[in-house]
Amino acid sequence: MEEEKNTQSQENESEEIRVGVYVCHCGGNISDVVDTKAVVEALKKKPNVKIAKDFVFMCSDPGQKLIIDDIIENNINRIVVSACSPTLHETTFRKALTRAGLNPYLYEHVNIREQDSWVHKGENEAATAKAIRLTAAGVEKIARQDPLEPIVVNAEGHVVVIGGGVAGMRAALALFKRGLGVTLIEKGDRLGGRALELDKVYPTEEKATDIVSQLENAVRSEKLDVRLNCEIEMIEGFVGNFDVQIRDKDSKIDKVRAGAIVLATGFDHYQPYEGEFGYGKSPVVVTLPEFNKLIADMPQSDKFTYKGKEIKNLAFIHCVGSRQVEGVHQPQADGRVNEYCSRVCCTATLHTINKTLDKFPNLNIFDLYKDIRTYGHGHEDYYEKASKRGVTFFRYTDDSIPEYAPSPNGSGATLTMKDVLTWNEEVSIPADMIVLATGMVPREISNLVGMLKLPTGTDRFLQEVHPKLRPVELANNGIMIAGTCQGPMDITESCAAAGASAAKVSILLSKKTIEMDPYVARVDEAKCDGCKLCLAECEYKGALFMAENYAHVNPALCVGCGACVAVCPPRAINIAGWTLDQFDGMIDAISMEELEPAMVPA
Amino acid sequence: MGDHNNMKILLITTMISSYPGANTVGQAHLHYSPGTYIIRVPDPVVFPESFYMRCYEKGIDGIIIMSSGSDCPYEGAYRRLSERVARVYVQMKENGIDTSRLKLTTICTVCKAAFLKEINEMQKNILQARSEKEGVAA
Amino acid sequence: MSAATIQKKADVLVVGAGIAGLQASLDLADQGKQILLVESQPSIGGRMINLSKVFPTLDCASCITTPRMASVAHHPSIDLLTYTEVNKIERVNGKFHARITKKPRYLDETACIGCKRCEEACTTYLPDEYDHSLGAKKAISIAFTNAIPQYPVLDMDECLLCGACAKACPTQCINFMQEPQEIEAEAGAVIMATGYNLTEISAKKQYGGDKYPNVISPLQMERLLAPHGPYGGVMRPSDGKIPDSIAFVQCAGSRDKSLGVPYCSRVCCMYAIKQAMLLSGSLPIADITIYYMDIRAFGKGYEQFYQNAKAMGIQFVKAKVGRISEDENHNPILRVERQEDCSQPEDVTHDLVMLSLGMVPAWIPDRDGIIPLEIGEDRFVRSVNEKVTPSLTSMEGVFAAGTMTGPKDIVDTIVEAGAAATEAANYLRRQEGR
Repeated sequence: MEEEKNTQSQENESEEIRVGVYVCHCGGNISDVVDTKAVVEALKKKPNVKIAKDFVFMCSDPGQKLIIDDIIENNINRIVVSACSPTLHETTFRKALTRAGLNPYLYEHVNIREQDSWVHKGENEAATAKAIRLTAAGVEKIARQDPLEPIVVNAEGHVVVIGGGVAGMRAALALFKRGLGVTLIEKGDRLGGRALELDKVYPTEEKATDIVSQLENAVRSEKLDVRLNCEIEMIEGFVGNFDVQIRDKDSKIDKVRAGAIVLATGFDHYQPYEGEFGYGKSPVVVTLPEFNKLIADMPQSDKFTYKGKEIKNLAFIHCVGSRQVEGVHQPQADGRVNEYCSRVCCTATLHTINKTLDKFPNLNIFDLYKDIRTYGHGHEDYYEKASKRGVTFFRYTDDSIPEYAPSPNGSGATLTMKDVLTWNEEVSIPADMIVLATGMVPREISNLVGMLKLPTGTDRFLQEVHPKLRPVELANNGIMIAGTCQGPMDITESCAAAGASAAKVSILLSKKTIEMDPYVARVDEAKCDGCKLCLAECEYKGALFMAENYAHVNPALCVGCGACVAVCPPRAINIAGWTLDQFDGMIDAISMEELEPAMVPA
Repeated sequence: MGDHNNMKILLITTMISSYPGANTVGQAHLHYSPGTYIIRVPDPVVFPESFYMRCYEKGIDGIIIMSSGSDCPYEGAYRRLSERVARVYVQMKENGIDTSRLKLTTICTVCKAAFLKEINEMQKNILQARSEKEGVAA
Repeated sequence: MSAATIQKKADVLVVGAGIAGLQASLDLADQGKQILLVESQPSIGGRMINLSKVFPTLDCASCITTPRMASVAHHPSIDLLTYTEVNKIERVNGKFHARITKKPRYLDETACIGCKRCEEACTTYLPDEYDHSLGAKKAISIAFTNAIPQYPVLDMDECLLCGACAKACPTQCINFMQEPQEIEAEAGAVIMATGYNLTEISAKKQYGGDKYPNVISPLQMERLLAPHGPYGGVMRPSDGKIPDSIAFVQCAGSRDKSLGVPYCSRVCCMYAIKQAMLLSGSLPIADITIYYMDIRAFGKGYEQFYQNAKAMGIQFVKAKVGRISEDENHNPILRVERQEDCSQPEDVTHDLVMLSLGMVPAWIPDRDGIIPLEIGEDRFVRSVNEKVTPSLTSMEGVFAAGTMTGPKDIVDTIVEAGAAATEAANYLRRQEGR
């Protein structure tokens, strides 16, 4: 790793440490409480400190000029500014160092406003003593600091998108239009994914196949590299530099190099177990996707006939395979129940009910639900329309899940439950046919999850970095997620997620290289005794590894948490910019028992 | 306040939450003891047990680790940190250091009251530990 | 008197610096685009920075918003204008021309160091809009503790012109004569991220939200729950009493045709559950009741959050609240029509009631001007390709992010902001003919 070396080799052992200390008055905000002159005088006596000054506003142009001039004229090579919080002006002063030709990381910002003068008013002497210790600690820290450079890795301008459904196509197109190379990998023999199963979609009433063709045509006309009937054999590497091996249906392996990966592996329909509301035992019990397929091509009619029998009463049951409760519902194969809401089934069910009534206006429809979750744009209209068209709603709870009993004549069934809407009255609902609004489960992608150590949640869907603020990124740097591999979503939401993940990829690959903060682990190979204790602490696959008998860090994968640092007996590993020696120096300064007589403020 | 001024409390804060939290206390111009020293780290998991012991050796009276808790951006770091603190407690006992002089807590960017409460409690703990020690000595 | 008009140029003009505008700006600026980000309020951060914690993670809202605000403020490719209004945006020859006015803060931003000495010196107290009038602020003040940027605004309508602030200022930056600054900007694309307002608390007359002090809005409840809130704890506004019995009335501004808001506002169930959980944490013995029609916990992890709330003992009552009145001690009285048993409507007294108000667009093109985007029946800006490209508006080159196209929670807003950024970047590329 060349980038690993350049952070280590720049230390110039022979260079004399010449620290410049600058104490800001902040126009009285600091100097009314802290005796800034006393701080300067005390710091002047400290070893390594060549210059100490105070100034009314260090952040002002003349303040910054003091620093720049001292760097250039007095060969100052380390800077400490004691002023406000670093969150306000650390970057300001780092830039000043850069302007003066000094490595910007040779800068330490000491907070003597928010964490000193503003909180110790009336205790001026003690606040001054504290400012002296804090500034001295800053000097100790920066004296032990070597120049740092950002970590730079190559950024391959190519993306592999896994999954050729709506989300995958949407992401692939956005990335291609952004000027990146794209390989779109689909397991099946055509693009479109689950949308191919749908007829019309809510709330726009477009045909799903039109949406698919619109995207597919764009993909084809843009000449994207589409690989049908292909699967992922292996992925290795890290952000900017992934090696993806693709296996086609003849088991031939092709290799693609990619800077980033977008996962759009989609969902499966929840498959009811045999006997769940009679499913699999009775031919008149079907899932919502099965029902939609069934009626798609049926002509409008006074009668709805299924398997040779007229269906008069049709019942829909919501939340089948979703919103399950432990102890009430039968667990899934992994022993867990599906606690989550599948988000789309309420509106999808009401959409289907309206469509069914358009074709078969004489049907009696019953809708058995827990909560109606028609949350999105135009969704509520389907609910309202269904209510107006005479659909009978029953509300069940987990204490009274509808009980299925086949009719004695075998042609239909009865559903028995307590209906909340009629004050928990027990109702028996005759149903000639039952439609189960089944939820979503993630596609089987355990090979990818294992290969890349992808994080998944208790719901088995892929788990984003932060459910609020970083919804389309995985903890694996360079791997994004789009659509229902993350959790239930409708087409609109999947497409938005695809767009967002394209933005994240574009950010990574917009330049030829990726620059990252230098605050990552570094190994002093001379000190490392190869004990391997650190390896067990690292949560980030590939970030820390052994080679030639000592620990190595891949700075592109290390996040700089420091977990490895604490367990290293010879202190061979440290986080650049935050070494244990630096902290020891700071503690020495903070714990200075007596400030020298001359250092005590008058 | 005299008692408080001759004690040194080290606050180990995180870049993401408790360091900005300490700034929020400052922006509100609240007051706490000037014997309180704040250092910031990416995550306190970086410190080995020996770091804490060295602090006490050097004369630090109390240490409050203000972690990011569930906001912690690093995998597994909080669990490791709490396990380490448990080991530090063992070492403190072995060396006759009152364990109430170390506290692991979580402080967010706007936890003003909690921030002050932790310092006050630590001051009480330190005084208590001192008087117990004096009691033993007497 | 007023200074010459300033000219600015950017790749993308982003209007609104709430979480949607911040995210869209960052997603574009990090790709190397030059952004002009305009916010009408004194600080960026929008509604989100105002919240206590967020569902379902219960992260402190401030803690997760401030880093993003700081990234925007320090970004070399983002030109940020706060306390600034966009007056008009026109599309001329494929470019957008915007007329913008920077309102006077009555101080020199380049000299201000955010030390608040002016605020300390000021003697005029006003209701604090950041705390939704629950707290007080000075006539010259920084919007809130972690505001970005840390510059105060002087409220000239209320200022006594006593000069105390100017005298206290260490940098002499106060300027009582400051004039608005006119700005003309040219941009290749526009992202609108103007956000939402809550439905008026007075809108539903039967609830008397504007008459009864202890019937409060969700954003007021957020401030009561925030660790840096106005009272430093949950107390009710009329008498500072710590409430023992708190009720949430769901759909108090949504799913209600009589209010002109027939749609579901998507977030109210979840924010009510979250607030109920936070209340039960800070007031463990209080009775907390949520009156609801349907609980719509549809997002990732939301259903589990709802189940946790139930397990914590929060009462969920499926009922309609017909009207609200109050007794002589300002205790709100709810007329509750339960759906779960066949009892008659009954009057229930609580100490504090939160009305789950809904979302309406903050900016409506045909009402407020600026740029003539098409709107839908719900008055939100209409997406012209809702299924595949939800951020496309009726005007080429103008993209929408966040709640301006409809109610949305934070995560959906952030996703959509990213999608809008992608569309804007690709649009620019197409315009450049590449």
